[in-house]
Amino acid sequence: MSVILEVRDVAKYFGGVKALDGVSLTVPERGLIGLIGPNGSGKTTLFNVITGFYVPDRGSVLFRESNDLVRIDGLNPNEVFKKGIVRTFQIPRLFNSLTVLENLLVTPLGQKGENPVRALFRNSWSKQERELASKAIELLKTFNMLHYVNSKISELSAAHIKMLETIRGLMTPAKLYLLDEPAAGVDYAMARELFTYVRKLRDEHNLTFFIIEHRLEILMEYVDYVYVLHNGKLLSEGKPQEVISDPKVIEAYIGV
Amino acid sequence: MIGFDIVGFMISWLTLFGIYAILSLTLNLESGTAGITNFGKVVFYGVGAYISATLTTYLVLMLNGVNVGEKPPYSVDGIILLGELGNKNPLLNIGLLVLSLVLAFIIAGVLGYLLTYPILRVGPAFVGFTLLSSGELLRIFLQHYEPVGASKGLMAIPTPFGWVAESRVREAAYLCLVLGLLALTYVVTYKLVNSPLGRTLRALRDDEIAALCLGKHVPRIKATVLFIGSGFAGMAGVLLAYYLTSVNPNMFVPAVTFNVWAMIILGGFGNLKGSLVGAAIVTFVDRALTFITPQLGITVISPDYLRWVIVGLLIVVVLIVNPKGLFPEKPIKTPAIDVVLEELRGGSK
Repeated sequence: MSVILEVRDVAKYFGGVKALDGVSLTVPERGLIGLIGPNGSGKTTLFNVITGFYVPDRGSVLFRESNDLVRIDGLNPNEVFKKGIVRTFQIPRLFNSLTVLENLLVTPLGQKGENPVRALFRNSWSKQERELASKAIELLKTFNMLHYVNSKISELSAAHIKMLETIRGLMTPAKLYLLDEPAAGVDYAMARELFTYVRKLRDEHNLTFFIIEHRLEILMEYVDYVYVLHNGKLLSEGKPQEVISDPKVIEAYIGV
Repeated sequence: MIGFDIVGFMISWLTLFGIYAILSLTLNLESGTAGITNFGKVVFYGVGAYISATLTTYLVLMLNGVNVGEKPPYSVDGIILLGELGNKNPLLNIGLLVLSLVLAFIIAGVLGYLLTYPILRVGPAFVGFTLLSSGELLRIFLQHYEPVGASKGLMAIPTPFGWVAESRVREAAYLCLVLGLLALTYVVTYKLVNSPLGRTLRALRDDEIAALCLGKHVPRIKATVLFIGSGFAGMAGVLLAYYLTSVNPNMFVPAVTFNVWAMIILGGFGNLKGSLVGAAIVTFVDRALTFITPQLGITVISPDYLRWVIVGLLIVVVLIVNPKGLFPEKPIKTPAIDVVLEELRGGSK
């Protein structure tokens, strides 16, 4: 299987703190890959480096573009998104004054009506707008959220907010999804439903998922490979069962 | 009892309302919809006013063969000559109006873009401070820049309809021009707000980081909005200069910006109709006090102070009753709403 994302020897320092200290890993296309580690091990920092919020102090990040791996470190977050990487946040970031539908509609790139001159001429963008609206409605149907179409974000449950943050990426041709703790704050049943959807998306839409998660009991059931970070370094990696029985991992988690 | 000139009052109120409503509509687009803290609306207003004043006075003199090196428009000779020559050629006056409007839009717009593009990355507070201080810098510069009259400013600006003999007709014609430009501003801002761009602007306002993660070029989009808003503010400045027939640096103090903010806070953030109502209320208070005070013979209290007190009280009362202003923000109207309605209706069959 070909690699969609490669992190090569990435380091990120904040003063004396080595948030990331030479991390190398690869994410295969159509993979469902977990990223775990104790608090402060550098998981979110790694996501921030991949998505362009931080420029790494050392190393590089590569992403598949047709047949080549190209460097994406140093790009701005909006440029990283254009390459085809969607991320979600530990605390979801949706647009609270917009409805569920509008949160989906705001996502696609290259909307004609986003151009200030074209925006003045409704005829030049209304066809595209209707197509996007139909697509958004289809998505909401697929995820059983159609009845929320005109709801404000504040009316949604935590699980639905996480779901919406993930599926808005489906409005674009993005290939890689970085999910930061999708199950946090969500009850067990809903969290499992969420991961079931993720697996379905991977299978039906050929997407790749790279997921940070603290709730290992759920994560391990779904992912096919896991990386373990500890103090900014890769501590262990492998199939879920191998990792979970690795004494180094157990020690890092129990922590002594 | 001295007679109250109701027509004169209406004309002066509506003209002032028109000029200020252009500012409040565009400030609402920038700050209400897009969340840019524009504390420097007066910069672009002032630039527009000075462009039209400078262009008109110099060109009228030069085209009439006056050596502006010897008799510049700010000198006593120049002012007298402007009075004599200013209203001879209607075509010239109207041509100068059009030229001023176009140039003011472009120059104020580009200035808005350039002033903000570099700082929009830093954060909303910095944009506010930078624009606020830019306004003061501009005012201090104008106070000391001789070619535009320094602290005295420019006077006796020939107006677009100065050649009309009857003053009521002249004022009414000017009012129509102002309301025409206001209508244009309303249509443009309304269409921008109710479009995919308007939706993206609200998204930027809600969460810049999330918008960035969805590929939006946040600084460029915001600077573009400031180009549009500042361009229209420049045109409002042109209208002001011709209305008052004079400009001077002290007309462009930060209080002007905050007056416009008062209008959009009163009317409602993100609601364009609210901006119109806010502008109408604030300018009405202003005009009414100016008209009534001398007739009542009150000289102890300056109407200027009373205006601030009244507007301040109005804001406090409105915000207590309805924290979102008189007219809260409405959902964006695009064809997507129709698609949803069709879907929901189809589903209920």
